[in-house]
Amino acid sequence: MGQSNTIRILDGNTFVVCEDTGDIEATPSEPTGLFSIDTRFLSTWVLTVNGERLNSLSFDDLQYFESRFFLVPGVATHYIDAKLSIIRERAVGGSFREQITILNHDEKPVDLEIRMDAASDFADLFQVKDEIVNKKGEIYSEVEADRLRLGYRRGNFVRETVISSSVPARYDSKGLAYTIHLEPNEQWNTAIEVGTHAVGPAGRDLRIGLRSHGTERLALQHDLEKWIADAPKVNSEHGRVASTYRRSLIDLAALRFSPLSLGGATLPAAGLPWFMTMFGRDSILTCLQTLPFTPQLSKTTLRILAALQGSRFDDFRDEDPGRILHEMRYGETAAFEEQPHSPYYGSVDATPLFVVLLDEYERWSGDVALVKELEQESRAALRWIDTYADLVGNGYIWYERRNTDTGLENQCWKDSWDSISYSDGTLPPFPRATCEVQGYAYDAKVRGARLAREFWGDPEFADQLEREAAELKQRFNQDFWVTDGEYYALALDPTGRQCDVLSSNIGHLLWSGIVDHERAEKLAQHLVGPRLFTGWGVRTLAEGEARYNPIGYHNGTIWPFDNSFIAWGLRRYGFAEEAATIASGILDAATYFDGRLPEAFGGYPRELTKFPVEYPTACSPQAWSTGTPLLLLRTMLGLEPHEGHLAVEPRLPMGMGRIEVLDIPGRWGRVDAFARGRIDLEKLSD
Amino acid sequence: MGDATMRFFEDLDRRGYEPLLAKTSGTLRIDLHEGAQTRHWLLTIDHGRLNVSQEDREADTVIGTSPALFDDIATGREHGLAALLRGDMTVMGDARLVVQVERIFPGSPDALGPRRRFSGEVD
Repeated sequence: MGQSNTIRILDGNTFVVCEDTGDIEATPSEPTGLFSIDTRFLSTWVLTVNGERLNSLSFDDLQYFESRFFLVPGVATHYIDAKLSIIRERAVGGSFREQITILNHDEKPVDLEIRMDAASDFADLFQVKDEIVNKKGEIYSEVEADRLRLGYRRGNFVRETVISSSVPARYDSKGLAYTIHLEPNEQWNTAIEVGTHAVGPAGRDLRIGLRSHGTERLALQHDLEKWIADAPKVNSEHGRVASTYRRSLIDLAALRFSPLSLGGATLPAAGLPWFMTMFGRDSILTCLQTLPFTPQLSKTTLRILAALQGSRFDDFRDEDPGRILHEMRYGETAAFEEQPHSPYYGSVDATPLFVVLLDEYERWSGDVALVKELEQESRAALRWIDTYADLVGNGYIWYERRNTDTGLENQCWKDSWDSISYSDGTLPPFPRATCEVQGYAYDAKVRGARLAREFWGDPEFADQLEREAAELKQRFNQDFWVTDGEYYALALDPTGRQCDVLSSNIGHLLWSGIVDHERAEKLAQHLVGPRLFTGWGVRTLAEGEARYNPIGYHNGTIWPFDNSFIAWGLRRYGFAEEAATIASGILDAATYFDGRLPEAFGGYPRELTKFPVEYPTACSPQAWSTGTPLLLLRTMLGLEPHEGHLAVEPRLPMGMGRIEVLDIPGRWGRVDAFARGRIDLEKLSD
Repeated sequence: MGDATMRFFEDLDRRGYEPLLAKTSGTLRIDLHEGAQTRHWLLTIDHGRLNVSQEDREADTVIGTSPALFDDIATGREHGLAALLRGDMTVMGDARLVVQVERIFPGSPDALGPRRRFSGEVD
């Protein structure tokens, strides 16, 4: 998807992607539009004055939910002598509102014909992403005295865009128009409201409760201010870390999403704008990253994922009892089961990570009530690991989709088709067992044991889980260890053969604790060594592997979120300098993106490109990239809940100067953490 | 009214308790419309304890659909949430209750479930 000069604003999963004039003219390669509940409600939205298109002088993204465009008539030339200015101000908050102001700067009066062309193709988000719009239903347009209704009907599935204006307008089937007269220095304005409706047979909107934050602009503004005020403050000597943190915090606010089944509470959606929905993996990992700063997200994420936990076998949705969902969608393709996202369960890491997050959340918050509330779901998740996930019967989590048509082939975070390979570059058969998922399973058992012993009053279950964890660790260290290279294989194929490539996944193993202590140092050397580390971060796949490509999606690019967990893992095993090296590289990269880390950037050596080369993806900000600076801060400051208080053990690189994090919330109330850069990274690399 | 719907509710009534709804309380009425006629089922949930009747009483959540579609949902041939998104089933009131209750409907009768590679079905 292209993303040149596109402006985005959003509220929950209602968002606008448009050109820098505010116009929308969707084409297969320019996926602009007004979107809500995974459906495009406007694919044309073009403003003209006396039949002329407008030209952008400037635009402001004021907040994530509002923007403003300053325009003049006529096409761009090197000199503009305009007698008219047009200002478009718009906001989303449930519906979409646009205020148009026209100013006459001429000394003569003017007569103007103002027109807004409006149309919608009602494309499903999946059709937009895949550039296929082939509608099976009927598109209609109804002109009423005071509004224009654009609609789409397929059986009982009805979506409508209703356009109305504060100033009386002439409506026709392709838009609305005004004829106005402006005296010198006079101005005119109108407010256009665009409602997006999912109409049920009884005329009711099916989205009751889907809305995220308030719907009014002021409510949204207050909500954002409160969100920032409630979070810890970060001050840094050089300012860069603090501004990256602030950027992340605002982006996290924008990424909050309120699903149908939770009555207004919010969880982090995966990415803006195309992934404004709940994803098991992305939501959980983002919560783990942000726990010290915005713990309320974890509580709602755990609750909503529990409420939608799999309860039966469904081959189309890859659902099993106990499995945590992968992705939920509300559009036409999900409704008519052309896509399985109602919800789809095809991921193998979300289920163990659910237990990991519940334990980590309790360690920070002391929220025992939630641990008790979610006992049944946690047990079901732990049971899933040992039963339905073990497709080979040898004690590992495996995946092989049952939905061979629209299901996901790779059900781990590296989910592209060619992400899992042998060192000769060939792809293994299914089922596959990737290494990091075994680490998550180990961690889930260890943490599950603590929950069972301390809160569920079930020491026998705790003993059993600990026994299983120890056995898994032993088995894993035998089966996955690549003796020649001294690292863990990326995956096993069903015959037990290793996908023996060196990959970033080994860093997640450190985080989960499944790595034998005597092997950790070797992993640390690999992670900051020349094959994996570029100077900015750790590549997904090491240089020298057959499929290595510095801009290969999961075969060589650097993923900031991946690096944040790697750094956390290094710190866990005592490699504070190596963790700081990675944290410092990623935070340096962030400054090239104004504090907003992309999903991924190129795996080129730092000294070669001098700046991080962004991998072209459609989503920004993306939740787990947004959470990355927060987890790196936690890691560098060594923030760790310990027997009811917050332990702080900072290990900062020298160049980072002094950093303070104030008012860190948790079971201790609120405490501050201070750190000063003392690690000499130059010395380390010698 | 379909036999499957009848069997589904009779089974719930007999079981009297559903662990998947242990945290759920509320009343859900299902209105099955056929022509001018509407049949009602009222499911009362109290922390997982279930009570079924055919009363037309006020409820926290009211679902409306056709008897044929509900029969298919009751046997796992159709999926409740997809039917909701399609507009073939409507909901009034607290939508959370529908999402919770939807989980107790059976999966597809044709589902194979996970297949163990060397030893067939997973236990």
